[in-house]
Amino acid sequence: MFEGASFTPLTWTDMLYLAPELALAAVFLLLVAIDLLLPNKFGRTSIGWLTLAGLLASLGLVLWRMLDMNQGGAEAETIQLLANSYRIDDFASLLKIVFLAGASLIVLLALGTVRDDGEITDKGEFFYLLLPAAIGAMTMASSGNLVTLYIGLELLSLTSYVLVGMKRRSALSPEAAFKYLVLGGISSAFVLFGMSYIYGVTGSVDLAVIYQALPAALADYKALVYVGFLFMVAGFGIKIAAAPFHAWAPDVYQGAPTPVAAFLAVVAKGAAMAALFRIMFGAVYFARTGEDADVAGDIFLTLLVMAAAAMLAGTTAALRQKNVKRLLALSGVANAGYLLVPIGVSITIVHSSSFSEFVYYLVAYFFMTIGAFAVFAVVSRAAGHEELKGFAGMYYRSPWTAAAMVVFVLSLAGLPVSGGFFGKLFILFGAANAKAYWLVGIIVVSSVISYYFYFGLVRQMFMRSGAADQPIPVPVTAGIVIWLCAVATLALGAFPGPLMGWIDSVFSIGRDLLFVPFS
Amino acid sequence: MDMYTQAAWLVPLFPLAAFLLLTALGRGFRKAGALIGSAGALAAFVLSLLIVVERLGEGAVDYNNAIDWIAIGDYTLRIGFEVTNLTAMMLVVVTLVSFLVNLYSAGYMKNDERITVFYGYVSLFTFSMLGLVLSDNLLSLYIFWELVGVCSFLLVGFWYTKPKARAAAKKAFIVTRIGDAGLLLGILLLFWYMPDHALDFTTIQSVFDGQSGAITTGITTLIALLIFLGAIGKSGQFPLHVWLPDAMEGPTPISALIHAATMVAAGVFLIARTYDIFQDSAAAMETVAYVGGFTAIFAATVALAQNDIKRILAYSTVSQLGYMMMALGLGSLTGGVFHLFTHAFFKALLFLGAGSVIHAVHTQNIHEMGGLASKMRVTAWTFAVGALALSGIPPFSGFWSKDMILTAAIETNPLLFVVGLAAAFCTALYMARLFFLVFMGKPGSASADAHEAPAVMTAPLVVLAVLAAAAGFVETPWNGWFGSWLSGEAEAAHGSGVAIVASIAVGLLGLYVGWLIYGKGGVSRKAAAERAPWLVKLLENGYYADELYAAVIVKPIRTIGSVLMVVDEYIIGGLVRLAGIATAYAGRTAARLQNGQVQTYGLAAAIGFVVLVAAIVGRRFWP
Repeated sequence: MFEGASFTPLTWTDMLYLAPELALAAVFLLLVAIDLLLPNKFGRTSIGWLTLAGLLASLGLVLWRMLDMNQGGAEAETIQLLANSYRIDDFASLLKIVFLAGASLIVLLALGTVRDDGEITDKGEFFYLLLPAAIGAMTMASSGNLVTLYIGLELLSLTSYVLVGMKRRSALSPEAAFKYLVLGGISSAFVLFGMSYIYGVTGSVDLAVIYQALPAALADYKALVYVGFLFMVAGFGIKIAAAPFHAWAPDVYQGAPTPVAAFLAVVAKGAAMAALFRIMFGAVYFARTGEDADVAGDIFLTLLVMAAAAMLAGTTAALRQKNVKRLLALSGVANAGYLLVPIGVSITIVHSSSFSEFVYYLVAYFFMTIGAFAVFAVVSRAAGHEELKGFAGMYYRSPWTAAAMVVFVLSLAGLPVSGGFFGKLFILFGAANAKAYWLVGIIVVSSVISYYFYFGLVRQMFMRSGAADQPIPVPVTAGIVIWLCAVATLALGAFPGPLMGWIDSVFSIGRDLLFVPFS
Repeated sequence: MDMYTQAAWLVPLFPLAAFLLLTALGRGFRKAGALIGSAGALAAFVLSLLIVVERLGEGAVDYNNAIDWIAIGDYTLRIGFEVTNLTAMMLVVVTLVSFLVNLYSAGYMKNDERITVFYGYVSLFTFSMLGLVLSDNLLSLYIFWELVGVCSFLLVGFWYTKPKARAAAKKAFIVTRIGDAGLLLGILLLFWYMPDHALDFTTIQSVFDGQSGAITTGITTLIALLIFLGAIGKSGQFPLHVWLPDAMEGPTPISALIHAATMVAAGVFLIARTYDIFQDSAAAMETVAYVGGFTAIFAATVALAQNDIKRILAYSTVSQLGYMMMALGLGSLTGGVFHLFTHAFFKALLFLGAGSVIHAVHTQNIHEMGGLASKMRVTAWTFAVGALALSGIPPFSGFWSKDMILTAAIETNPLLFVVGLAAAFCTALYMARLFFLVFMGKPGSASADAHEAPAVMTAPLVVLAVLAAAAGFVETPWNGWFGSWLSGEAEAAHGSGVAIVASIAVGLLGLYVGWLIYGKGGVSRKAAAERAPWLVKLLENGYYADELYAAVIVKPIRTIGSVLMVVDEYIIGGLVRLAGIATAYAGRTAARLQNGQVQTYGLAAAIGFVVLVAAIVGRRFWP
């Protein structure tokens, strides 16, 4: 028990606030029992559907709570549990919606592709392990305290390690799981090391207390503050696969089952981004005024440098890539760069929409990435390999699926009319408003380089003839995922206004992110 | 009350649905093409007609409905539609002609193997044109403006196996592009200078109409001229008219729909829509008037010496569009729009009639035709109605609209009045020449086994002939109904005895001279060719405009191009290659990192971290 904080135990009302997480946990325990008791002769598809039902129920609860809280407009009260260690605010709720929707789509995709995948032996576990991973991601988004945050991170990471290794009969999968475990371990070590320094100089793990204690800490232990935050940033940098911490991503994505790769690309990356967002704006942001303002500036700058490096490293490394999963992994590296930009450019009077830009691009990224992974899953299933040439002549074999893929590629490349276009545009405007012109230049250059390999995909689909000429079989659930994502991507591109408007209407920087009224 | 007006956004959706349906069906359903295409156009026409009928009463208010499309910062881009009496009239013209052309094509294109694709393109064009008409702001108008250009490109080059069709399609696209670039610049300037960057017509009207002085006269003139440049390209005005005669390589129903009645009139429509900008600048108005007048006489003389039935009509279209521009430039909005309205009917009629002739004789050379009147009665009669309307003979529609323009000219600019009269004389003359050579006299080499077209082709001719004969009565010197409906203000009856008499006289004189030379044979046809062969040659070649452009513009550009190519190859290309090599090298280095060794990855992360910290934090501690 540290000084300055009083402990209030959880009440039943508090438990009600935790309903989305608790629902997932309950479904998880139920499914473990079912999987144990169900004789082997029964397929595990029903577990997949129950997993999906659990995720959707949790999604419904999050939405209900959020709408309930926002009846009074953007200035609605937020809920703090256990002395601000668990926060239910619009920041957390919006991201939870993204995570849960993403996980649901991934389960739906897996229902179509995993069933007859002989390399995945434990199909029940495959599905229900996504539930604790989702709880971990939600905890990270909700945490107002470094320890809660770390617990969420570990819950997510540990389940992810197992999920990556699910293809037990494939040589690549356990290798990928091992690599992910080692690099993930390094990441956790960095994060924990950094956290311990921050606790050491501020005497608290509560972000709200940390920001109050930071000015004093800076005066005495400037170097230690640097160490603390930069180690944390680097640790999360590994998790989100931002350069120069991204080297593991292609290997791990390649070895992991395709739905798990999509999960890592969207949910795991998004959760680490959310944690970074909280730390940067919950604590570091307030140190940017006062005597030692340059420390906060430097930490923000580190994020921007990481963002720039990720964009350039991701796009250039992808140029020579022939394996689609590795290509998508590197595209994920570049996209991590784009997502870091709104976190790194500081909020000012003229530019206060960082969070809307971030969520908008995250949503666009989530649809286009899951969509691309879904198309890839059915293509590689038909081709029997994961090389780029599996897409050859796809337009002539399955024109509609090819058309959906074109939508995802357009969006990934950031061309109109797609969600990716407006996502990048908003981020670009944000960077320009914050006068980070060098970053604007790098965003543009990396986008141009990326056209080359994204259009390599299109060239394969339209201008090459493939080995086979029968249509690519698309399982119903995978088809649903592909079309949901394609329509959503187009809708975000045609009508960016409603989503942006909605985020702005529920989100208030002061209450939902900064813990104090924003002035 | 304004039920149909409020549903106007549905009008373009019918042809769009037809287009999507046809595209989804693919080429297999040959019969479905005509059916779906015509059904889409018919539905659009019925709704348009209901809209107009609803608005006929007194005091129909303009209806505008828009939604926020994109909000960037403080700027909101709205997209929507607007129904005014002008757009309602355009809706009816476009959908009616489109429907008739759809019907006609069922016969004309029957044996084409890509008929489904054809109908898909036509439906897409109709959708785009209706979108252009309904747009409530310049930006979405510009998008549809480009879209009709694309459809025109696709349809001119529809028979892409013919090299001439390919070349014509390319030419049409590139030449109109020059105008489009002007229009885009105009829109950007307007965007820059308008209060709140508004681009919708309502705001434009209030800003310029109110003489608010928000935009200086110099800028207004510049904006107006740039918009006019777009109209010059689209409406085939001198000097960008060269694409329109070549565009006749497309199927004839397309020439009737796109290159006579609707798309080429978009330039006139654009100026009518932004008329308040033009009215603020006397210089711009004069430019429009003179360019229009010059085009009218210039193209009319060229039409005199053409031998291809469709090229004659194409130059005639250029000339008539010149009339409309002249009317707008002279300050007569009603005159220009009224002529657009009547011209759409009689020129579509003439083109479809020409199509019927070409369908029968399989040639476009008028000297190989002759004596077709006895074999193709419906075509001949309807064509005669169209020719009389175009020549400005009362009581056919063309007379009333042309008379209105000439009246406007005599009141304000006698020079342009004379030019207009001369052009009217030429018009009557070349139409007489065309009619007598094709339908009268001895049967020509190609007309031996000609026969009337099927009913599906003649029915549209009859409908258009009725309209070409009667449509002029909506606005006569003693009844200004059309003008007051269009502008919403009561317009006094107008008319000038001199203009009426002169206009009838030159029309009849032109026809009489034509009859003397080509009908009765009293004057030698070769007389002109013998006495002034150079003149005939000059006219035949359209004043050598194409050749002139080739020598003055295309060749120098080619020369500059080849010089630039050397620069491009060795200097720019070198730089690009260098950038490419550098990127590839970076890619290789990045790939080398991916050696599969987890130790390397960890090390890379650690080194990356140290470098990052050293670079960013180190600079603070380094003295």
